[in-house]
Amino acid sequence: MLKYTVKKLIMMIPVLFGLTVIIFMILHLAPGSPVDLIVGPNATPEVYENVTKSLGLDRPLITQYFVFVRNLLKGDLGTSILQQRPVAEMILQRLPVTLEVGVWALITSFALAIPIGIVAAVHRNSKLDYAAMSFALVGISMPTFWFGLILLYLFAFRLGWFPVSGYGTWQHLVLPVIAAGLTDAAVTARMVRSSMLEVVGQDYIRTARSKGLKENTVISKHALKNALIPVITLLGMRIGWIIGGSVTLEIVFNRPGIGRLMVDAIFARDYPVVQGAMLVLTAFILLGNLLADILYAVADPRIKY
Amino acid sequence: MRKTIFRKKAVLLLALFAVSSILAACSPGTTEPADTQEKVLVVGFERDAETLNHIKTGWYSDALVYLYDRLISRDYDFNYEPGLAESWETSEDGLVWTFHLRKDVTFHNGNPLTANDVKWTLDTILDPETASPAQSDFAAIAGVDVIDDHTVDIILKTPFPNLLFVLSNTAAGIINQEAYEQYGDEYGVKYVIGTGPYMFEEWRQGDEIVLTKNPEYDWGPAWMANTGPSKIDKIILKTIPDENSRLMELLAGNVHILRDVPATFVDKVADEPDVTIHRGDATKLGYLAYATDKAPFNDLRVRQAINHAINKEEIITYVFRGIGTPAHGYLPPALKSEYYADSEKDGYAYDVERAKALLAEAGYADGLNVKLAAENSTEYSRLAEVLQSQLKAVGINADLQLYDSSSYTAMLKTGEQELFLRLYSWPNADILDWFLLSSQLPYPNHSRWNDSRTDDLIHAAASSPTWEARALGYHEVQKHLISQAVWAPIYIPEKLMAVRNEVKNLQYHPWLPQYNDGTDLITE
Repeated sequence: MLKYTVKKLIMMIPVLFGLTVIIFMILHLAPGSPVDLIVGPNATPEVYENVTKSLGLDRPLITQYFVFVRNLLKGDLGTSILQQRPVAEMILQRLPVTLEVGVWALITSFALAIPIGIVAAVHRNSKLDYAAMSFALVGISMPTFWFGLILLYLFAFRLGWFPVSGYGTWQHLVLPVIAAGLTDAAVTARMVRSSMLEVVGQDYIRTARSKGLKENTVISKHALKNALIPVITLLGMRIGWIIGGSVTLEIVFNRPGIGRLMVDAIFARDYPVVQGAMLVLTAFILLGNLLADILYAVADPRIKY
Repeated sequence: MRKTIFRKKAVLLLALFAVSSILAACSPGTTEPADTQEKVLVVGFERDAETLNHIKTGWYSDALVYLYDRLISRDYDFNYEPGLAESWETSEDGLVWTFHLRKDVTFHNGNPLTANDVKWTLDTILDPETASPAQSDFAAIAGVDVIDDHTVDIILKTPFPNLLFVLSNTAAGIINQEAYEQYGDEYGVKYVIGTGPYMFEEWRQGDEIVLTKNPEYDWGPAWMANTGPSKIDKIILKTIPDENSRLMELLAGNVHILRDVPATFVDKVADEPDVTIHRGDATKLGYLAYATDKAPFNDLRVRQAINHAINKEEIITYVFRGIGTPAHGYLPPALKSEYYADSEKDGYAYDVERAKALLAEAGYADGLNVKLAAENSTEYSRLAEVLQSQLKAVGINADLQLYDSSSYTAMLKTGEQELFLRLYSWPNADILDWFLLSSQLPYPNHSRWNDSRTDDLIHAAASSPTWEARALGYHEVQKHLISQAVWAPIYIPEKLMAVRNEVKNLQYHPWLPQYNDGTDLITE
C-alpha cells in the first residue's frame, strides 16, 4: 500500500510536467498580452516594447517555457507580471480562503448525502424516498452561483443574519458552505441511493438477511460498505473540484481565494499566476484521485495494490 | 477487521475536521474597528489594484490619489493649481519650468520633502531601465535639475504646456527615494511612503486596501476648504467583483460609496432612502471607429454616411436609460478650454436619406457588408445590437463579433478590424495624440488613421508656448477630424457615484473625490 502510494506520487510528476506544457502553450497562444493592462491604452509603441522586454515576453516561446520549467524545478513558481510579487506567496495567501469553504462544503455534502441516500434506498418508492429525491433534483438543477445569490439576498441582505461579502469569521463561512455543500450533496445523495439499490439486490444481502441479521446490521455492515465504491470515486473528484468549483463561488461571495485569483489572472493574461494556480488545481485533482484509490482498498479488502 | 476499517474511517474524518479547523484558524480575521467612534469610509470597487507602486503600473488605484501629493493639483473646476509646488514659472522660450516647493512637507516616514525626491521620481520614470509604463507621458522632459533643496528646474525638449496635466496626474506622485530603495520589491505591496493626506496601513490583496489619516497633514492645496488633516480616520478600498454583491453591500450599509456605477443602478436605487446618486460630467467618450486604411472606409463619403446613420438620442434612451449626452466631436465638453465648442454645428446629424445618398455616391447603392466588433459586456453588446439595426436602415449589414477585453486589444493590433466600438476615459486633449498620430500605428492608432495634416496640427498644438494657445491648436485638430469623419462619436457618459447619506459634505470633483477636503461620516 505504501509502495503503491509512493509510486502513484512519483507518477504524478510526469503528469504535472506534461500539463505545464499544455497550460503554457494554451495560455500563450491565446490572443492578448499582459502588457496591454500594464501600460494602459495611452502608451507609445516604444514604451510598450520596453515593458515587454523588461518582462522577458519578447523572447521566443520555447525559451520562455524553459525559463518557466527551470524555475519550477527550483521550486520557484515565478513572479506575477502585474503585481510583481512571487506567485507562490500569492497562492499561499489565497489557498486557505478557498480551502476553508471547500473542506467544510465537502464535509457537509457527504454528511448529508450518505444518510439521505441510504434512507431513500432502504425506503425505496416511499414518501421519504420521493422527498429525498425531490430535494436532490432541486439541488442538481440549481447552479451554485444562483443558489448563492438567493442565499445572499435572503439571509444576508433581507434578514441580515450573515455578512454579505468578505471572509475571516465563521459567519462568513455559513452561506458559501451551504451553497456549495447542498448542491454537491444532491449529486452525492443520488449516487449513494442508486449504488445502495444495486447492492441491496445482491445475493449476499439476501444471505445476510436469511441468516437472521437485523436489518440495520445488514444495511450498515454489509450493504453500505459495498455501496461506497462509487461514492469514493465521487469524493476523489470532489477534492479536485474544491479549487475548480471555487471560481463562481468566490465571485458571488466576494472571497479573495484562489478561484478569483485564477479568473482575474486569466483575463489579465498574467501568465505566471495562471500557471501557478492551474498547477495547484491539477495537484488537487491528482491527489483526490490518489486518495480515492487508497480508500477503495480500505473499503473493499478485495482491492489490493 | 471490520472494526479497524471503521476506525480508520473515523480517523480520516477526524483528520479532515482537524485540517479544516486549522485552516479556518489560520485565515486572517477582519479588522473590526475597536473604537466605534472611528470614522471609517468604505468605498467599493470592481477590481483590486495590481501594485501601489505607480512607477510600475498603468493600472492606477484610487489609493494613489490619497497616498501621494503631486507638484500640481486640480481644483473642482479642473484648473491647475499649486500642489507640492507653491509656485512655478516658465522661461521665455517655454523650455525651462522652475518649481518652488513647499518647505513644510514631510513624507509618511518623517523625511522632509526635498527637490531631490522630485528629481529622483521623474528620473526613475524616464530611465528606460525602469521600463515604466508612464514613461511616454513624461517624454517631453529632457532633464531635471536641482537648484536648491526646495527649487527644481524641469528642462523640456520642446515647449509643452501640457506638463501641467502630466505633473498633476497619478503617475506623477512624488515618492521618497530612501523609502523606495529601502523596501525594494516590497514597495507598493507592503510599504508605500508618500506625502498625501492618507498613509498606507494594510493591503489584503483581492480584499481591501486600508488607508489611515495622516495626522501631520497640513499642506492641502489652497483651493480646499480644509487644508489640514482629514475628518475621516480611515478609508477602506474594498474589492467586490460582482455587481449585484456591490449593490447589496451598499444598500446594507457596509459600503458607503460606489464611485462608478452603471446607468442601470439609477433605477435600482431610486426608491432607496439611504442612497443618493451624484451625477457629473465624465471625461469619457464612446465612439464607433473603423479601419480607415481599407475599403470602403478609406472613402470619406462612407465614413460620413456611417456618421449620419447613427441615431444618438435613441441609443442614449434605450441603451443608457437616458443618462449621458450625444457626442459630436472627439473630446468631451468637460475638458472645457480644450473642447471645440462648434463640434455639434460642424458634426453629422442623424439623417438616413443623406447617409443613403452618400453611400450611393460612393458606389454602394446596393448596400455594404461589414464586421462590427465590440467588447463583450452587457452595455456594449446592447449598443452594438442597436447600432447594427441603425446601420441596416441605411443599407449597411453589420455582422456582430464580441470579444473579451484582452482578445479585443489583440484583434485591434492585427488590423483585422472593420467597424469597432470603443470608449475612452481620459481628462486631457492629448488622448487625440495617442489614438490618431501616424507614429502610433498600428496600435494604439486602432482606426489606422495616417494623415499628415492631422500629424502637423497635433504637433503644432502640443508644442504651443502657452496652455491657451495649445487649447486653440487642439480646436483646429478637432475641426479637422470632424471634417474627415475619422470616427463616429456616439455618446458622453455621465459619472455616476452612488453615495450613502451618512456621508456628508462630499463635493463632486471632475477627477476623483477629495475625501480629505472636509468630507465627514455620521456614525451611530
